[in-house]
This record gives sequence, C-alpha cells and structure tokens, in this order.
Amino acid sequence: MTSFLSYKTYIEEGDLVIAYISRENMTPLIMDPKLTYNNKFGTFRHSDMIGKEYGTKMPSHNGRGFMYLLHPTPELWTHVVPHRTQILYIADISFITTYLDLKPGSIILESGTGSGSFSHSLARTIAPNGHLYTFEYHEERAKAAKQDFERHGLSDLITVECRDVYKEGFGITDLVHAVFLDLPAPWDAIASAKAAFKQKRIGKICCFSPCIEQVQRACASLNEHGFVEIKMFECLIRNQEVHTIPVYTVKDAVSKIKVQQDKKRKRNEEEASDSKAAKSPRIKQDPPNLYVSKTPTEAKGHTSYLTFATFLPVLDDEVEIIDKVNELD
Amino acid sequence: MSLEQSDSPVDSQNFDKIDSHNESFEQDEHTDTLRIMDNQYVFIVLPSGNIKVVKLQKDTTVSLGKFGTFHTNDIIGKPFGHSYEIYDRDKIKVIRNVAFYEVDLDDSGANNQETIDDPSKQKLSYQDIEQLKKDGMEGQDIIKKVIESHSSFDKKTEYSKAKYIKRKESKFSRVFTPVRPTLYSVWEYFFAKNPSKIRDMRIDTLSQMLTLSNARAYAKLLVVDDTQGLLITGVMERLGGYGIVLGIHDGEYHNYDIVRYMNFSKKVNDSLMVLSWQQIFKEECQAPFNYQDESKLSQKDLKFYLRKKANYEKVQEARKILWKGGFDGLLVASQYQPESILDTLVPYLAGSRPIIIYHINREVLVNTCVHMRISGKFLNPQITESWLRQYQHGHIENDMVFVCIFKISKAVMYANFG
Repeated sequence: MTSFLSYKTYIEEGDLVIAYISRENMTPLIMDPKLTYNNKFGTFRHSDMIGKEYGTKMPSHNGRGFMYLLHPTPELWTHVVPHRTQILYIADISFITTYLDLKPGSIILESGTGSGSFSHSLARTIAPNGHLYTFEYHEERAKAAKQDFERHGLSDLITVECRDVYKEGFGITDLVHAVFLDLPAPWDAIASAKAAFKQKRIGKICCFSPCIEQVQRACASLNEHGFVEIKMFECLIRNQEVHTIPVYTVKDAVSKIKVQQDKKRKRNEEEASDSKAAKSPRIKQDPPNLYVSKTPTEAKGHTSYLTFATFLPVLDDEVEIIDKVNELD
Repeated sequence: MSLEQSDSPVDSQNFDKIDSHNESFEQDEHTDTLRIMDNQYVFIVLPSGNIKVVKLQKDTTVSLGKFGTFHTNDIIGKPFGHSYEIYDRDKIKVIRNVAFYEVDLDDSGANNQETIDDPSKQKLSYQDIEQLKKDGMEGQDIIKKVIESHSSFDKKTEYSKAKYIKRKESKFSRVFTPVRPTLYSVWEYFFAKNPSKIRDMRIDTLSQMLTLSNARAYAKLLVVDDTQGLLITGVMERLGGYGIVLGIHDGEYHNYDIVRYMNFSKKVNDSLMVLSWQQIFKEECQAPFNYQDESKLSQKDLKFYLRKKANYEKVQEARKILWKGGFDGLLVASQYQPESILDTLVPYLAGSRPIIIYHINREVLVNTCVHMRISGKFLNPQITESWLRQYQHGHIENDMVFVCIFKISKAVMYANFG
C-alpha cells in the first residue's frame, strides 16, 4: 500500500510507482506482479520492479531503453493525475499553503475538489492530525477523488462530500482554520464559509479566480461579510533552459573566412594542375564553452488571481467593539 | 461523509467525527499561538506602518513611543486579529477592523482643477494639535477635527478624501495591531528589515522550496541554511515536531536567529538538530568528552558539567543520525558553492528524494545544473524563476526578483544496470 504520508526505500507489491520516462512523460503504475507496462522503449515487467529501490534506473526487458522508478509525492501526482478538471500548479499551491498558514494539525475546507490534485498537497501538509473537508458538486468527480484518496492512504485525513455548496452551503460550523474556494462564483459561498470558520480564532480564506471580474465581486463580498486584509496576488514560475554554448571570437571569424578562401584557392589550383594534391588536414580548435540559461520563448502564463482575506475572531465581549465606521462618519 | 446527497446537512455520524477532530486539535500545541500569550513574541503594527517586535511579559507595559503605552495584561489571552486604540495614556479599547470603505463612484464633479498648494487651508496649526493631544483628545477625534478645519475638504474627490484621511490616520491615530508570528509575517518582517540577511529570499520562493522538498510530518530532512534560520523555520513548521530537521551551519555555532520568533512548542524545537560543516566529517574528530563522577561535583559545577555533557551528546547523536543516511531530501540556501555541498551531502540521501537549491544569482545555479547533468547521479535538474505580483487597493506593485530553484530526484544506480 502506497502512502503519500511517508517514504519507503524499496518497492513492494501494491505500491504506486511514478514511472519517469522523460520530463514530459511520466506515468503512474500500481505494482502487480502479473502485469507488464509497455511503451516505445520496450516492455517493463512489474515483477522486475518489485524489490528494487525507489529511484532505480530500470532497463526495459529487451534493453531498448530505460525509465526511472520514482516514489510518489503530491507534486509528482500533479504531473500524472487524470485531469478531470483544470488543476492548480506548483507556484499557486505553494503560495496558498503558506498564506493560509497550513501545517500539521490544520483543519481546512476546500471547494471544489476537482481532480483532487490540490487535496493531495493539502493532506500531505496537515498530516498527521489535521483534516481536510473537500466539497465537489459533480458526483462522478467526487467518487473518483474519493477512490484516489483511499488508494493513496489519505482517506483518514480527507472527507469528500458531493454537494451543491451554492444552494446548500457547507453544513459545517465553528470548525475550520482555513478555507480555499476554487468556484466560479465564490461570493455565493462566502457566507457559508464564514460560518465554517472556528469562530474564536483568526482564520484565512483564499478565492482562486481566473478573471478580474470574479475578483472584484469576491472582494466586495468578503468586505461585506467582515473579512479584512483583502489582498490579491498573482504568481508564476518560469523555467530556465540551461545550455552549453561555444564562445567564438572575431579571430575565429577571420580564420573561418581564411579557411574558406584556402579551400577555394586549392580547388582552383587542383583544377589548373589537374594533380591530386594531398589534402592538408584541417586543424580544428574547440573554443571555450560557456554555461548559459534562457527563458523559453513560450512560458506558461496567467493561471488565476489569488484573493486572500482574514477572518476576524468573534470577541468574548462584543459590547466592547466600537464601530470605526460610525465614528468617522 | 457519504457521497450521496442527504437531506440533513450533516448527519449524526459526521458530528461525531467533527467533534473528535475538534477535540484533538484543541489539545494540539499549535493552539497556543492562536491567542496572545505571555512570554511569546508578537509583532506590533504601529499607525505609521512600522513594526515593533515584542516578547510579551505579563504585568508589564509596552511603550509604542509617541503613540502611547499599553499594559500587556490587557491583550494577553485575547485572540489575534483585532486592533486596539490607546486612550487616557495607557488604556486600550478594541477597534473593529474593516477591509476598506467603499468609495462611491465619483459623480460630484469634483476634480483637482482648482487645487492649489496652500497651507492656510488647514486652520489648525501644529501647536493647536499638540494642545489637543495634551488635553487628552483621542486620535479619532483629532482626525475629525483636522478634517473639519480643512477649508476645501469638500472640494476634494472621494478618492482624495479617502487618501487624506488615511494620511492623517497614520499620523494621529493611536491604533496598534498585535500580529501573530506566522511564517508569512515573520518573513515579511525580516525581508523588510534587511533582505540581504535572508539572502533576498522571497516568500513565494520559500513556499516553493517547502512544497518541492515534500517537507511534511515524519520526514527526515537535511537543510543548509545561511538565511538566519528562515529556511529552517519553514521546514520545522511543516514537520510540526514529527521527524528530524538536521541543519548544517556555517561557523562553530549556528545562527538560526529567526526560529525563536515563531513561538514553537518544545516538541517542534526538539525536532531540530544542528552540526557545523566541520562536525559532519568523520575524519575531523571532536575532542573527546571528559566524563566525570557527577556525585563529586559541587552544585554549581554540576549544572555547568551537565549542560556541557548534554551538548556533547547532542552533537554525537546528530553525527550518528547523519552518517546513518537515508535522508528524505536536501534544501540549500547557502553562501557556499552548491556543487561542493552536493558532493558532501548527497551520499546521505535515500533514492528518489528531492534536492532544492536556492540562489539569488542564476549564474551560480547554471554551473551547478551542468555539474549535476554530467555526474549522472541526478534526474531532471531544472532551474526555475519565480514571479510574484501583489495588487492592493488599486495600487499595483510589480515585484519581480530573480530567484532560482532546482528540482531533482536523486536516482539510485545499480551496478548491473547502470
């Protein structure tokens, strides 16, 4: 049985292994000694993989190629998860996790579950004593996510519920420390999210919206419901391609021309004399190398805007409160 | 909870489950940081926007300079999130925070066409305001008075009215806000104070390092931290006291100053072990400890002796754990050459584990990347740059700094296959 919550050294029957063929090509395999996995590099028998150390470079049975057997992590799962919906990527996942102040013991509300990819990251971070309540209105998606969580040893940490939260709310009160809303109309769920917060402590909420119009409505709704510190961020990750390039100089440019002229002259001489003179061997000198990097011309652009706000705890003695707004008016 | 939709929002079985989680969390040590506690660090945000770090001690007062003074007992035990206004020199009352006041779309026709820079529009002089303060007038009332005394306040647009009020508030308001130290707020404080001390590391980058390294409960991680302990702090928090954080530090003694501001529980603090670069090498032997008969030591000497012995044994224990190997990941934010760090520490990692190296200068990592490709011990070395932009109240801050992270899984090679 695989767990996303602890590492293993050796691969066992029933484990989930992430087969790494290339950066763009990874595939999840559940170890079953009766099965074989085929790709363009050949045949890989599960029985050959069982017992190997995670990280092993595995040659195919016919020796035509190889792949690496990696230990699953929520991040690798993001690469191989069947995309039932648009999923969150590492830049957003990381920033949200820190901003929502997640750590072992945190209790979180997520809506919707989608492909369950972010749920994996969340569960990893709040284990072993936290809990994730995740809501998905699409029944098939909720079922599929639930199945993934069970297979990945996360079902004790995650409660999945199929529910239309716009109409029915979350049905949770005074419980969670953080809320993550990846919904087309988060403003319709904010009142219910507010009730879900643990009422006597500070909490954080994040709305994940691709369009600026959604952000504006969400901000207005958060403000109306008494959330404070409303802030909006956008984060991206850009890869850098690393190359080794030779460094030629002007001297090299001149000698290149000289070599060409030399060739031409020799050819003319050969034609004139019609004699087969021995070719002089060309001495090629390798120029020094330089290690460089560049941003790919096509980088992944905007994903979504992250709108954060703070839930304020209800005071023991509400009478104390002086309304700043009234005072100023 | 069942997948089927039920009529009742939460059935009884769910209530049991929810209650039990509730309870287990209440017992957790992290709960301590949710209220303002005695003997803990707190950031105090002043009206000017400056931040003061205070270690609260009960039965004392904290001075906020020209903004006044408050008694620590008045905020200890209160939840974080609210602001307080100082009145009568050292008394405080709770202020309800609001995110923003909605500014009506301006249809007044006001604009800055007639605006001239004329200080005489403000009828209150500096001396008048000082007198009001002396008379004990509260901050909010002073601001109101200042606005009333501005002869052309009404001619301002709604936007510039709001801006004017905000500017006056930062000057005359006596409202302060105790802020809970979290990874974010601690980072924010140190980044604003002296970014070079934390190697210019931004919070988005730090967050990516924690995610990519799979830092979580029950992990055993190696951390090379020359960021005053910022990176170590993040890792310790994510492990939550379950697992081991082994910090490799510069100099003879570590300087993880930032760790203490998080008010970690003993359990979390105990998960940290440290070794200097010298102590990790087997051939660099440590001076053996001179064990003595404890019964023959005086009370004073015994205390000193026991502390020295404990320190010695802690180092021995950390060395044993390092040499045993099988670590779950390596995080680096260091002044030293990454290649040399990899050569030294990678042998202690298990297979298929992430290695994350941070550097503010891309050139350093480009060399490391090539080194890793050539060595054949690493899979998929990659350099990434992270980018963060914050939009706030209509103001746009474009915050683009160059940072690099490496994401690699260590591959184990077998002789018969390799």
